[in-house]
Formats: sequence, C-alpha cells, structure tokens
Amino acid sequence: MNASWLQWVRGIVTVRLRGNQLETLVNRALASGLQLWSISRTSGGELVCNVTVGDFFRLRPLLKETGCRMHVTTRKGMPFWLKRAEKRIFFGVGLVLFFIGMFLLSSLIWTIEVKGNDKISEEHILEVAKQEGLYPFQWSFKLPEISDLQKSMTRDLPGAAWVGVEKRGTKITIQVVETKTPDTTPPVDPRHIIASADAVITDIQAETGRPVVKRNEKVKKGDILISGILGDENNTKNVPAQGEVRGLVWHEYNITSPLIRKVQVYTGETKTRWYGIAFGRALKVSGFGKVPYQFYETIQHVEQAAWRTWELPFGRMKETIREVRIDKVPVTLAEAKSTGITQAKADILSKSGADAVVKSENILHEKTENGKVYMKVLFEVEQSIVAEQPLVQMQGE
Amino acid sequence: MGRFNRKLRKMAADLLDLPQDVVFDLPRVTMIGDRQLYIENHRGVLHFSSDKLRLALSKGELEVTGDGLVIRTIWTEEVFIEGQIKHIAVHE
Repeated sequence: MNASWLQWVRGIVTVRLRGNQLETLVNRALASGLQLWSISRTSGGELVCNVTVGDFFRLRPLLKETGCRMHVTTRKGMPFWLKRAEKRIFFGVGLVLFFIGMFLLSSLIWTIEVKGNDKISEEHILEVAKQEGLYPFQWSFKLPEISDLQKSMTRDLPGAAWVGVEKRGTKITIQVVETKTPDTTPPVDPRHIIASADAVITDIQAETGRPVVKRNEKVKKGDILISGILGDENNTKNVPAQGEVRGLVWHEYNITSPLIRKVQVYTGETKTRWYGIAFGRALKVSGFGKVPYQFYETIQHVEQAAWRTWELPFGRMKETIREVRIDKVPVTLAEAKSTGITQAKADILSKSGADAVVKSENILHEKTENGKVYMKVLFEVEQSIVAEQPLVQMQGE
Repeated sequence: MGRFNRKLRKMAADLLDLPQDVVFDLPRVTMIGDRQLYIENHRGVLHFSSDKLRLALSKGELEVTGDGLVIRTIWTEEVFIEGQIKHIAVHE
C-alpha cells in the first residue's frame, strides 16, 4: 500500500538504523533529496524505514557523517526478483517463449471460410484469395488492407457482384454475392402451330409467327393455325411459331352409371387386440382367437414410450377390429345421370388441360338396362388446341 | 523578518483576507481523527520515537505525543504521520 509500483520496480529495502543522531540523519537525507517512508521506532531505540535501492547507496555516506550504522532486514521489488529468477533461468525463458508463441500463433490466419457461393467454386475463390495474399497460415500483419482485398477480389472474380472479407481473430470469412444472370432459353427449331383436334376457333393470339386462321373459323385436325414461315415468296424466314389458340371441341362420351350404389357401413361390433412393442417387434398380449366377422377393417394405433424428446424403443399397440357391412343403396335415375356426367367432365378436364371450360352438354341417347343407365353425351368444350409441327427445310426449292 | 515587514504583512493579510500560513510561513496541520496527521511547512525532525515526535518550525517547534507513531512519508517540508495521536503542542 505504502509502496507505489515505481518504487517496486526500483527495489525496496527495509533498513534498521542505529545510532545517536538518527533525527539528524533523517533531516540530512531529506535535504539531499532521498525518499524515506514508513519510518518507525523500535522499542530498542532503532529506526526502521523503507528506502529504494538507489537511495540506499546514497544513504551510506550520510551514515558516516552522523555516526550511524545500518542493517538491511528485507529486500523487495524487481531487482531482487530478477536476481532470484536468474537461478531458474529456464523457467523464465519458458515463460517468455510461451508468450511469444502465443502471440505468433494468434497472429496467424488459421481458417478461411467461404460463404454465399453457388456457381463459383470454393477452390477458385480460395485460389484468387491466395493470389491476393490471403491463405491459411499467412501472417495477419502481412495481410493487405481488408478494403483493398475486397476490391481486388471483386475485380478478379467476374462472377461475383460483391466480395466481403471479414477478419475475426484468426478466422477469415469471405462472403460472396454472385451476379444473377437470366436463364438461357433452349433454342427451338422453326415450327408451325397446328390444330390438335377438329374445332371452331374462339381465340387466337400469336406471339411469334403469322396467324393463318380467324375467330369462328372451322379447322380440322392438323390444319396450320400459326405459320412459322414469315415473308413473301421472295424473302422468307422460318421461325418457331408460338402462341395461344383456343377453340370449341366436341367430345362424345358413352357413359354407364349404375342404379345401385354399394356403401360400406360399420355395424358397431368391435374387437380389441393389445400388443406390446419392443425394438420394432410386436407381441400380442390380449385379444386372442379368430375374428368372428366376415368383413372387417383393422385400425392400428401405436403409442411409443418417450422420455423428454427421446423416443424409447418400447411401446404398446392397440388394434381395433371393426365389423363392416356392405349395403346396396338404390339411386334415382337423375342422380345416376348427374354422377355419370360429373365423372365424364372430370375426365375431360384431366385430358384437355385445367383451363378447359365445358360450354354445354347434350344427351343424345339414353336407356336403362340391367340396373344401369347407358347414355351418349356430347360435350362442347372450349380448350387449347395447340400442337407443334416442325418445319422441314426444303432444300433446293 | 523585521518588525516593519511583519506589520506590513499582517496588514496585507487582514486587508486581502489571505490565509495566515501563506503570509507568515506558519505550519498547516491537518488531522484526521486521532489516527492521521499531516503537517506542512516544517523545518526538520528534532526527535522521533514511537510515543513522541518533535518537529522544528520556522519559529519554535511542534510536539506530537501518542502511541505507535509511524512516519508514513516525509518530504523536506511535509510529513505524514500515522498512529494514535493524543496530544499536539506548539512551543515558541
């Protein structure tokens, strides 16, 4: 407390002074600029005080002048500490080497992480980084300025819009933002757009190519709707025709719909079986014996034992067997017809695309026989009638 | 310090309301309870033991009595004393 660290560095000596003119000695010492502290008298009439090592040697001539004698009791501080450390030189050297090693190892770059790259390979980025002087086991202090590094790496990586370099301790993170290029469309050969079915055109929109037909025009299957040949007789150019053509198409359906519907009904009779489960194998515990029902359904319900979030390999399984009866329910004629038509419409939509619209339906013929309804229905459907026909190059023409 | 000089100084001190220790070169004693004592403007140690300390002043002397007195720090004009202080006396 009474010795500052500066005094500690210089070295503190506690001395015992003996003599008749101790007060004079203290005054003389102060007058010549020495610093004494923690001065106290012992019961034996001696004076105990602290003095730095430098002042200790300047005190000696004053002792002679005043006829006092001095005796050193304790030595503290760095000079004495160093003297002791000399005896354990290897310990000291090891201590110093440890700190040097620590400093050197922590000023190396240990890992480089690359983030955000998708198309550019990590190897390529690391190679570019190496050219700029950024690689594992490089000295941190030999590294170029981070902002310069970012600029030069962005310049060297053509596929990157921005490269960010972040240094955190011994780890470097390279954040890459890649440039986004639009997907290239595959090249298409010149072609016509033709009709996929006999139809009446309701709408035609040509994106590429020359529309040949008009609205309300009747086309046959295979007729050209949008031509892929542009120009007049002298100058022609073949292009891949593209566009949207919609038309009214007629579908004839033979529909058969039963007048009796089979319905599965639970009778309410059940039988329960219990199983114990261990390591994926089940062992029946109760509910032995044959199933007393002709038709039945089995429902399994497994309960796995768990502790916190871990699933244990034990559990139990409940198996419920429910008796089933099949009832035959009579269906009215109108109901049977509408069911048949609905099924036919669903079939049309699944075949001719989701954007198809059933415009009208017309029952042409209908008869009831053997508990079934037979129908012939004509559907008028507006749908896309686009099909592709490649243009064959007529050479020598 | 001549008589005239002293009179002049006293007059100046009274007039300007200056502290006396500055004008007359007197000791300034700061005491913290009975355990710490700080004396400025002394003129050297005359006697020091664990129960008595005598300091020379510009005029006269200052006597401190107590138990277990220790000079914590000492400079040419200041001294810092610790211990149990019982009595302080100033002699002409």
